[in-house]
Amino acid sequence: MTSTIDSVREDGVSPTSTESIVGKSPRELAWARMSRDKVSLFALGIIITYLLVAALAPVICAVLGISPYALDGDALNDYGLPKGAFGGISTEHWLGVEPGTGRDIFARLIYGARASLMVGILATLLTTTIGLVIGVVAGYKRGWVDSIIGRFMDVTLAFPSFLLIIALTRPFTQRLESLGVPEGNPARMTYIILVLGTFGWVYVARVVRGQTLSLREREFVEAAKASGATNRHIIFKQLLPNLWAPVIVIVSLSLPGYVATESTLSFLGLGLMQPAASWGVMLGDSVRYYRADPTYLFIPGIALVLLVMAFNLVGDAVRDALDPKADRQNLL
Amino acid sequence: MKQRRIIAAVGFALVASVVAAACGGSSGSGSEGGTPTKGGTIHILSSGEQIAHLDPQRNYTGDDLAFAGSTMHRTLTSYAYAAGDDGSGIVPDLATDLGTHNEDGTVWSFTLRDGGTFEDGSEITCADVAYGVSRTWATDVITDGPTYASSYIDAGDYPGPYKATADQQAAYDKAVSCDGKTITFNLKVPVADFNYTTTLLSFSPVPKAADTGEKYDMKPVSSGPYKIESYTIGKSLVLVRNENWSKDSDPVRSANPDSFVYEFGLDEAVLDERMIKDAGDDQFAVSAGIQPENLQTIFEDDAFKDRRVDYYDPFVTYTNLNVKNLSCVEIRKAIYLALDRDALRKAGGGPYTGDFADGYIKPALALDYKKSTLPDGLNADGTANVEAAQAAMTAAETACPAVAARARDGLSFYRPATPVWDKAVAIWIDSLGKVGIKLKDEPVEPSVYWPTVMNPETDYDIARGGWAPDWANASTVIPELFSTAGGFNLTRNADDPDYAEFQEKVDLAKKELDRTKQGVMWQELNQYVVDRLWALPGTFTKAQSIWGSKVGNAYQWSPFGAYNYGDLYVKS
Repeated sequence: MTSTIDSVREDGVSPTSTESIVGKSPRELAWARMSRDKVSLFALGIIITYLLVAALAPVICAVLGISPYALDGDALNDYGLPKGAFGGISTEHWLGVEPGTGRDIFARLIYGARASLMVGILATLLTTTIGLVIGVVAGYKRGWVDSIIGRFMDVTLAFPSFLLIIALTRPFTQRLESLGVPEGNPARMTYIILVLGTFGWVYVARVVRGQTLSLREREFVEAAKASGATNRHIIFKQLLPNLWAPVIVIVSLSLPGYVATESTLSFLGLGLMQPAASWGVMLGDSVRYYRADPTYLFIPGIALVLLVMAFNLVGDAVRDALDPKADRQNLL
Repeated sequence: MKQRRIIAAVGFALVASVVAAACGGSSGSGSEGGTPTKGGTIHILSSGEQIAHLDPQRNYTGDDLAFAGSTMHRTLTSYAYAAGDDGSGIVPDLATDLGTHNEDGTVWSFTLRDGGTFEDGSEITCADVAYGVSRTWATDVITDGPTYASSYIDAGDYPGPYKATADQQAAYDKAVSCDGKTITFNLKVPVADFNYTTTLLSFSPVPKAADTGEKYDMKPVSSGPYKIESYTIGKSLVLVRNENWSKDSDPVRSANPDSFVYEFGLDEAVLDERMIKDAGDDQFAVSAGIQPENLQTIFEDDAFKDRRVDYYDPFVTYTNLNVKNLSCVEIRKAIYLALDRDALRKAGGGPYTGDFADGYIKPALALDYKKSTLPDGLNADGTANVEAAQAAMTAAETACPAVAARARDGLSFYRPATPVWDKAVAIWIDSLGKVGIKLKDEPVEPSVYWPTVMNPETDYDIARGGWAPDWANASTVIPELFSTAGGFNLTRNADDPDYAEFQEKVDLAKKELDRTKQGVMWQELNQYVVDRLWALPGTFTKAQSIWGSKVGNAYQWSPFGAYNYGDLYVKS
């Protein structure tokens, strides 16, 4: 079915004229394609669950009577390790307790999801906004504006970004604190988001620029120009609505990347700090206990892998659905 | 002496009902039996980047003193090379006897043995010892070392050998005089146990011609059975036999292995893993300390029973409160009562961390120890007493509103950036949060933790401390920790209204020659500080170690709470 539509559209014939598929907007078509992919639907379900759990973490904890910070010495043995098998999994502590402190791992995990997703979502929003604006401007204006922006993007891409993130953590966090961002984790979180935004927009901008370059030559833009539309109108009304498909794909692929980066930084001790719960903090801590309490290592690990995988699957599916030319079935 | 292993030991107290005697104890003092054999290489695995100081006059951490003293630097007297309580006794080393003194203990003389040589074969003379000791005064170059020599010896305003004028040098030479092989120390104050002071590496000889000042730290001249072959910070230190050392002149050191290889910069988890695996060269390895997460693995499995030890080391841990900032005993009390010491102890490895301390003097100092009375309301089981803490906080609001406001606003908490402390901080924040006291976490790179908090510019409110007596007299504890002249006073208590009285009592106790009476005075001073809570007593610590299956004589040397490295041997 997909291929029929595509080939028809490729021929320049309006889809509405084809009897079998009347009255479907591109959005509906994309959703129709995506909903055939059961795996990605499942992945989408996982993502929605994560988002809900993260958003409702305080409510869930209150209902279950658990807290990510409450210490529970009774759940630990003389060595400070969890009592009982599998890291102290019990009806009281669903995923066991943290060695040394007895804090509830389930509560820390869902609060960790909150932190990780917040960083991921905000960083993605930032990169997308910056990337979109700069990309459209570069692609639409062309000429010297494009050249300057292009060189600037090349330079940004050439930066050893991760190294820079690590090196600048201390001074920038302190600078943010002196600017009035609350000390400690809020400042560190802001830093991570800002720095991911600083380096991440280029990837969005490059794709958007390319798309814009091809779109601005299309007939509908010509038509708009001919009828005297302003640049503003062309960018916002003509170009942007046609750009959201590639942007959604980039977003769905970069968000899990940012979540993983936050975890990596926290793991290295540069991201969020104790007592805050973040997956990276949990992973960093649990590695020490791999011999005495392996369950503790697996729980945040699985949570992270699951989220990143779900986002990647959904990202792939969205790309396939929105960009039929890359459809795997079509290629076969 | 300062504690090196600032990674562990965060827990706190229940007074030990049975504490093995003499700074350390013998609750399993190490591998036994077998005749020591010569040869082989002993490996030392360390998570540190270097030995804090190899320069004898600057070395002041328990583990490093034990290592450098037993392999490279001889001293006038030395602790006995023996396991258990015997290790706390002293024996003549460079000197022929334990020294002689005049009636009131202000003049001490030692006579050097024949045949003692440096690594280049030159003889160790009285002048070399006097020169070595004189470096103690040059605190701008010779940093971090103990200051007993300069505080006891009557050398006027001597600034150390680098800056001394001829007159000042003459004054020093008079205070520390040489007559042939006999060195005489003239002291400002009577010191009845000065021959214990001389076990410190401050009393090691240094050949004047070889002294490179600050750089001497990297390649000091050896007077012992081993010398440095190579030393790379962050990588390794290799000691090989000093061919010019002769057993005849040194009855103390056994010098069994042919060489020592100190491996630095190992990840703590990797280090423990290697010790547990016991493969290849690691069979000949020793390591100090076990990470809390591995204690269960090692102590619940009989496979390790011949190569593990759990013992009381000489250290006491405590928390320094910046008395200048927290100038109000109520707030200090609120912090102490609110603190969940039991949770801290669990985070550090449970009872393996040690027992809750009731002061700063460990029971092993039998003459000076008396169980002190802790503040009312402090739970004996170490758990927090939130109600009492809240009451203390309320009292503070009235007594010192400014300080209470500071506490509500956030107190800076300086701690080493280690995984164990990451958890401990969470417990601190949680505990104090319950009475409305906020903490600002300030993690500091472990290798520079002491220099950071000892810097008067660092404005901490709370900073940890860990201390062991330099010899069995609380004169090396109370004045060192709480007197402004002390080498490790992090409480900034000089402006406390009671400080003058405290200092007066300390001066009296130091002068007291009757050791029993002096002991009682230390007991009272210990209580005096506990009452004022300039610091919060933490733990009478225990330590655990694991060594390779082919290492012999791996006992813990009680004065240092470390292996007697020089006495180790490779099992054939």
